[in-house]
Amino acid sequence: MLDNIFDYTLIPSTIKTSTPILLAALSAVITQQADILNVGVEGIMLFGAFTAVCVSFFTGSWLLAVLAAIVVGLLVSTIIGFAHLKYKADVFAVGTVINMLAVALTRFLLNTILNASGSFYSAEIVPIPTIKLNFLQNSQVLNTLFNNYSLFEVLGIVIVFILWYALYKTVWGLRIRSVGLNPDAAETAGLNVFKAKFQVILISGILGGIAGAHLSLGYSRLFVENMTSGRGFMGVAAMFFGGANPIFAWIGSLIFGLADSIGNRLQAYGFPSQFVLMIPYIATIAVLTISLASRIRKEKKQKSALNHVPNNK
Amino acid sequence: MRKYDYINALLSILVALVIGGIVVAFMGHNPMEAFVQLFNGAFIGKFNFGTTLEKFVPLLLAGLAFAVSSKISVFNVGVEGQLYLGAMATAWVGFTFSNLSKVVHVPLALLAGMLAGALFALIPAVLKVYFRVNEVLTTMLLNYVAQFLTSYLVNYPFSGGTGVAQSPPIYESATLSRILLPSRANTGLFIALGVLAIVYWLFYRTTVGYKLRSVGLNPDFTDYIGVNSKKVILGGMMLSGAIGGLAGAIEVMGIHLSFLDNFSSGIGFDGMLAALIARNNFGMVAIISFFIASLKSGALAMERYTGVPKSLIDAIIAVFILFATMEGLFQLRRRAKKEKEVDEHVG
Repeated sequence: MLDNIFDYTLIPSTIKTSTPILLAALSAVITQQADILNVGVEGIMLFGAFTAVCVSFFTGSWLLAVLAAIVVGLLVSTIIGFAHLKYKADVFAVGTVINMLAVALTRFLLNTILNASGSFYSAEIVPIPTIKLNFLQNSQVLNTLFNNYSLFEVLGIVIVFILWYALYKTVWGLRIRSVGLNPDAAETAGLNVFKAKFQVILISGILGGIAGAHLSLGYSRLFVENMTSGRGFMGVAAMFFGGANPIFAWIGSLIFGLADSIGNRLQAYGFPSQFVLMIPYIATIAVLTISLASRIRKEKKQKSALNHVPNNK
Repeated sequence: MRKYDYINALLSILVALVIGGIVVAFMGHNPMEAFVQLFNGAFIGKFNFGTTLEKFVPLLLAGLAFAVSSKISVFNVGVEGQLYLGAMATAWVGFTFSNLSKVVHVPLALLAGMLAGALFALIPAVLKVYFRVNEVLTTMLLNYVAQFLTSYLVNYPFSGGTGVAQSPPIYESATLSRILLPSRANTGLFIALGVLAIVYWLFYRTTVGYKLRSVGLNPDFTDYIGVNSKKVILGGMMLSGAIGGLAGAIEVMGIHLSFLDNFSSGIGFDGMLAALIARNNFGMVAIISFFIASLKSGALAMERYTGVPKSLIDAIIAVFILFATMEGLFQLRRRAKKEKEVDEHVG
């Protein structure tokens, strides 16, 4: 039984289950760098997933579908941006409301536009293409490991590194991070904090839209009410796990994806999957606690070493 | 809560209803008729009004739970999880002890729910106080843990043996009496209102409440005057969790009469939003929860009689909350005036 669970096919299935979480995590990473906790990712994703299925069904083009999902993601994030930055709404509250609105509105539109209730599937939904490398097909192992990935399962990893580069190696990234660390100082240094924060919220909307489109057209090929089912929140958790660093957030997403894949396999053997599904959440809390505890200990040590220096606090 | 906060809330309701009306008209229904049905569905008749009250109770308690934690500057997003574990503990007490009299069984079941909720809320509180782990994150993650844990329990050890994932039914002696039959409204309403009164009294009429509020305003100052702010935060979070657990307990004892897997579907989050709009003012939490509950129960009737889908009302509720959270939206002129005054003073 263990052989069947932990074999090499676990790797591609982990990548497949982790990609929607990864895209959501990246959407949360970019805003967190500017000190905005964007829990609305979940809602943006759901809007994106619905839009993508709709457009793909009516136009038969996956590319238009992805673009439409991005546009909707931008629209929703514009609402978040205005509500939070201009009208001073609590960003956590706005995010939660957006999630609520997404569930209700997509259900409503599912009934009215697609005349379906609960879920919508049609053979006319054109999925996001998968990347097929013919020369790999001779070896079963290589074929399983490296072939037949959906476009964004590959692009997602590319985006990880683009984001990392943009945030840590460019002037723009430095500015975004400084806005997150100390908005007053950034303002004094002549940065437009409002503009910088709005920018990252919009980028977050683009990524959230892509995450949704991938969920409904790449990961699956249908729309189900509330189909994100917490993946956006898991993305936020993966972001926290990685301390808002895209690369570490990617690792976090892989852990979530791995637990999900193992959970699915265990369920097939009648083992309660709930325990495995719980692991990533508990692991995230444990990792955070340990890392913060060691930081606190280090601070204490430093303090005692500098005992003769007057303590500011 | 200041005067223009009320005006803000009222204007938000109006704007949301107007948007909703336009959408309804656009769909080819008569908006006036839809709103009349919505009103009737929420208030006219024992069943309809009872359904409103039934939905009001958990919303009020979840909202209070969140408001209590906010008063001590802790963001308890985990009300949903505390509600699940509270409901589970209550259900266990309810279906395990068979020959207790109602006088003993009901309080025992309620206490079990509160205790479970309080202990579950203690985890993020300890992590926050001693390890500085962000409580928004931990509570959000622990919601999933609670959901999976209770799901496991009702699917395996405590399975009721029916096709549905639920616990065995609780004994008659642990149920709360129904009021306004045939609706499922129950005496839990009075418990919830009692909690509202107690929380208000505790926060504004006792020294404990003073300590809680002062920690919320300035924990360093609280430490300075000789009150251990860490202990106050732990206690406050346990109180918040206990109220969340109580919400779950009442759902089990008054409504479902067993633990139903995944029964809450976001009560904790709805309550949290009610508290956010109310800016954690306890009385206002009650008013907003009641308003949201009437919309939800009215929507059921509206869907039945006019064919306007219930999901539209959910969307309208979300729009209303979205507007209501935007502090600055309906007071732009006011703020402009204020800034001018400040300028004059400075100048």
